[in-house]
Amino acid sequence: MSSERRYTPTHEWIQSFGDASRMRVGITEFAQKEITDVVFVELPKIGKKVPQGAEVAIIESVKAAFSIYAPMGGEVVAVNGSIESNPALVNADPYGAGWLFELRIDNAAEWDSLLDEKGYQALLSSGTAGGH
Amino acid sequence: MSLPLAPCHMRRNARMTDFHGYFLPLSFTSILEEAKAVREKAGLFDISHMGHFMATGPGVRRHLNGLITSDLEAVPPGKCLYALLPNDQGGTVDDLILAASGEDEIHVIVNAGNRDGDFAWLRDHLPKSISLEDLSAGQIGLALQGPASSQIVSLLARGFEGMKRREARFSMGAANHLWISRTGYTGEDGWEFFGSEESILPLYRILSEKGGDLGLHQAGLGARDLLRLEMAYPLYGQELTPEKTAFDAGLDFAVNLRKGSFLGKDKMLEKRAETGRNRLTGFVLTERGIPRTHCPVLDPATGLQVGEVTSGGHSPRVGGGFGLAYMEPGFLREFEQGKEAGVEIHGKIHRARIHERPFVTGGLSGKKESAQLAVKSNGTADQGAKR
Repeated sequence: MSSERRYTPTHEWIQSFGDASRMRVGITEFAQKEITDVVFVELPKIGKKVPQGAEVAIIESVKAAFSIYAPMGGEVVAVNGSIESNPALVNADPYGAGWLFELRIDNAAEWDSLLDEKGYQALLSSGTAGGH
Repeated sequence: MSLPLAPCHMRRNARMTDFHGYFLPLSFTSILEEAKAVREKAGLFDISHMGHFMATGPGVRRHLNGLITSDLEAVPPGKCLYALLPNDQGGTVDDLILAASGEDEIHVIVNAGNRDGDFAWLRDHLPKSISLEDLSAGQIGLALQGPASSQIVSLLARGFEGMKRREARFSMGAANHLWISRTGYTGEDGWEFFGSEESILPLYRILSEKGGDLGLHQAGLGARDLLRLEMAYPLYGQELTPEKTAFDAGLDFAVNLRKGSFLGKDKMLEKRAETGRNRLTGFVLTERGIPRTHCPVLDPATGLQVGEVTSGGHSPRVGGGFGLAYMEPGFLREFEQGKEAGVEIHGKIHRARIHERPFVTGGLSGKKESAQLAVKSNGTADQGAKR
């Protein structure tokens, strides 16, 4: 059973699919539109440990390079190999096949610092969205 | 600053961006798809941000000719000329397109970011007998670019498709100061239009509504920048600056040394003779990465910086990351002989090798047009009204 999807002010999303300690991370629809044509993604190495808010991947698009930050702290336990060969998936299906990596979460309490759907939509409509 | 077509772009869900204070479409669908459409069919660009001046008065050609690098007096009315506007140190104020609409009347197209500076420069350096008018306010500029342009332009009026490359026409009267030229800055065939909102909006509507059936795509600044970079055309502020001369940037074709003297000529020649000046070169990465403006270029043997990227990007046609960079002459000689350079991107060194310019062939860089490129030294513009 998947969890609720939560968001960062820098336009990453995070969600678990069954195992609550293992979270999948990607970028939002808003972010993929801003980033435009994704050319490739510098994914982290499996086993890399990152604190919440650390830069963990870089998305290179035709337009510019964008840093991706860890929504929660943890260890990288999987990366999405299919975006290596087909980076356009990040644009086409950012919440699905275009996910970036999975984290084994260190501290479940960090979940509470993230934005819920309503909070993220409010951030977008306020036009003060930061990050990318 | 909002431009007349901004509401039309918003209705088409364009991703808008700020460019030198102008609110313009970055892309409509995808930068790569739009660039591909221009190379294979056609694209329509909003270039309303370009500055458009008109200089009039007795001897205006001679006076302007004393300020630019190519020979305006040798160009017949109705033909476009590409030129650099040097400063008194031989560096570059801007690059321009000029065309005569009459014996004593010259239109000048300048870069958006330089509009005020160029106007002030020209006003200060032209005699008072020459009147200089800025026609840019409220103007719409359109660039129709791509191999299908000659069919698409026929939607507007009979006769446009018969214009020669770099030909300019002017319509006065009701459609005051309308500029129509067979030029562009993508390396493809095409037309550019500048004029008042009333005169150009009907053209935009026809092209937007009917052009799609002939393969026309709306295209934004992202595609425009990629297309010009594939052709190695300079962008002011990146390849050209107040410190860089035409020779530094490899734009020798745009400098006519046989014509009468022009402001900055002696300094340009002095700088050309200096052995230590950095020169612009083209490169491609041999590994995955996208170089960007200001990325350092290093000598892999010493780890020392030997240059800087001015423009970079990613192109499927070029086959990956590529760009233009200024490099120190000593290193550049080795680079030209096949030595690899290192381009630092996000703190990592990416290997690069030299690449000929333009980076892509086809369109105007193809075989058919190479004869025209070879006669560049006669001073006619290869490149159109730009950006």
